[in-house]
Amino acid sequence: MKRRDFITKTTAATALLTMSDLALLASEKNQKRHITILHTNDVHSHIDAFNANHPRYPNLGGAAKRAAYINSVRNENPNLLLLDAGDMFQGTPYFNYFGGELEFKLMNMMQYDAATIGNHEFDNGIDGLLKQIPNAQFDLLSANYDFSNTVLNSFVKPYKVFKMDGVKIGVFGLGVKLEGLVDKKMYKETVYLNPLEIAQDMTRILKNEEKCDLIICLSHLGYYYKATPETISDLNLAAKTKDIDLIIGGHTHTFLPKPTLVKNLDDKNMLVNQVGWSGINMGRIDFYLEPQKATTHQAERIIIV
Amino acid sequence: MKKYILIFLTLFLVFSCKEQKLYVSKVEASLIEIKNQTPVTTLEQEIAPYREKMEKEINTVLSYTPTTISRKDGNLESSLGNLMADMCYEQANPVFLSRTGKPIDFALFNNGGLRSDIQQGNITVGHAFEMMPFENTLLVVKMTGDKIAEMVQFLMVEKKAHPVSKQFNLLIKNNDYQLNINHLSFDKNKTYNVLTSDYLQGGGDNMNFFKNPIQITDIDYKVRNAIIDYFSKTTSIQTQLDGRIKTE
Repeated sequence: MKRRDFITKTTAATALLTMSDLALLASEKNQKRHITILHTNDVHSHIDAFNANHPRYPNLGGAAKRAAYINSVRNENPNLLLLDAGDMFQGTPYFNYFGGELEFKLMNMMQYDAATIGNHEFDNGIDGLLKQIPNAQFDLLSANYDFSNTVLNSFVKPYKVFKMDGVKIGVFGLGVKLEGLVDKKMYKETVYLNPLEIAQDMTRILKNEEKCDLIICLSHLGYYYKATPETISDLNLAAKTKDIDLIIGGHTHTFLPKPTLVKNLDDKNMLVNQVGWSGINMGRIDFYLEPQKATTHQAERIIIV
Repeated sequence: MKKYILIFLTLFLVFSCKEQKLYVSKVEASLIEIKNQTPVTTLEQEIAPYREKMEKEINTVLSYTPTTISRKDGNLESSLGNLMADMCYEQANPVFLSRTGKPIDFALFNNGGLRSDIQQGNITVGHAFEMMPFENTLLVVKMTGDKIAEMVQFLMVEKKAHPVSKQFNLLIKNNDYQLNINHLSFDKNKTYNVLTSDYLQGGGDNMNFFKNPIQITDIDYKVRNAIIDYFSKTTSIQTQLDGRIKTE
């Protein structure tokens, strides 16, 4: 770690330095870090753009065009994490004919880092999803689907820690309740665990054990349910947890013009985002991080927009 | 592209030398529309053979229609809606009958589920995908007469051409109605077996009368497959407006 380098190199000199000098040295040594997150949700096998004569989304979307945008951002900042919040499958005949093979191959070419499992990932049954896993060079993350008694056991991780530019980024996945949404014969012995409890476990692990600087939740729970506000959703999860910096959501196909700012359990601000569906949009979040001055402790975040 | 800048200010309270951590000093967010970017060639090349194969499959001819089948040629019904409901009924009824010994009384779907007209000429697999892009399954819902009455109220209020099969004949008279199911007057004290999709049964399109029924039978038949099977066995498609739902 850079901090360690800094300490070893400067111990000899510390005697002569005041506290504020130390802090100054630290900020010089450790430049500002910049992590770019790009994200999609509910692409639903929309490999081709909508037709030019589509009544609502003429010429919008398309994997090859999305790749162009991703490449341009990658050139700008290689410290890029590319994520998807589920329902990559189902919605065009590409899925019906090829079972998700092309969806995954294109995501590899775009260098997706991780995706969570949406309800439509079960549309060809859990065996249909298993069949496509060898085609995915990115991680499928789901912390609240217990696959131990299914064929997917060991193919899906609860979370992954990415390290780039000296920043540790913990990403975990959450899936929507399957009962009543997906036929049992499709998801078989997959056990749905309480997303709130799992999120609390995940944040504890990622914060305290993995020492992550950023925590991102890939959620397919849905943004918010007006008619049943108690239903677990991204907004509810955000308010009832701590240490999550960003929830990238899906499932409800919600078009948010900008991320929603939510106060978490610690009364700190965090972000919830979702970008519609079918690859019409891509979300971009740039995090700038700075080494906390060696002499300080972060107490509160205030946001000025 | 709109860009939003959110700045996280940090208050420094405790003074200690222990742990140096990274903290978020600024967050920028933006939404990028995927529209005018120049497609990446390698991806286009990867897609091309799949697209070619898929297009060949979806262009497979199943049937023929001598006239354009429209979803907007009537007020409370449409020729496409009538066709869709009748096709699903005809395909599903023998399956349900063999399993339960009882016939389906009628079918109801939603107007919003009809995406595009079928032009005069050949009918292909692609048309079936256009009619039903999702993997919805056919269900038979056993309902009380009260729930059927709720359904009628819903249809009277919505005034949309929701597809019903030909067994369902509704005459709307101001605030009253006359309903015949299979040529018999609707009896509020009877129960009815109604064919619909799992999506609508779950309350999709606000068809809440389908919720909490007496019984649900999943006949394990996808809506699209029923449509494809009907087209495949029918050389020339005949459908028309017949006033199955009309106002006096």
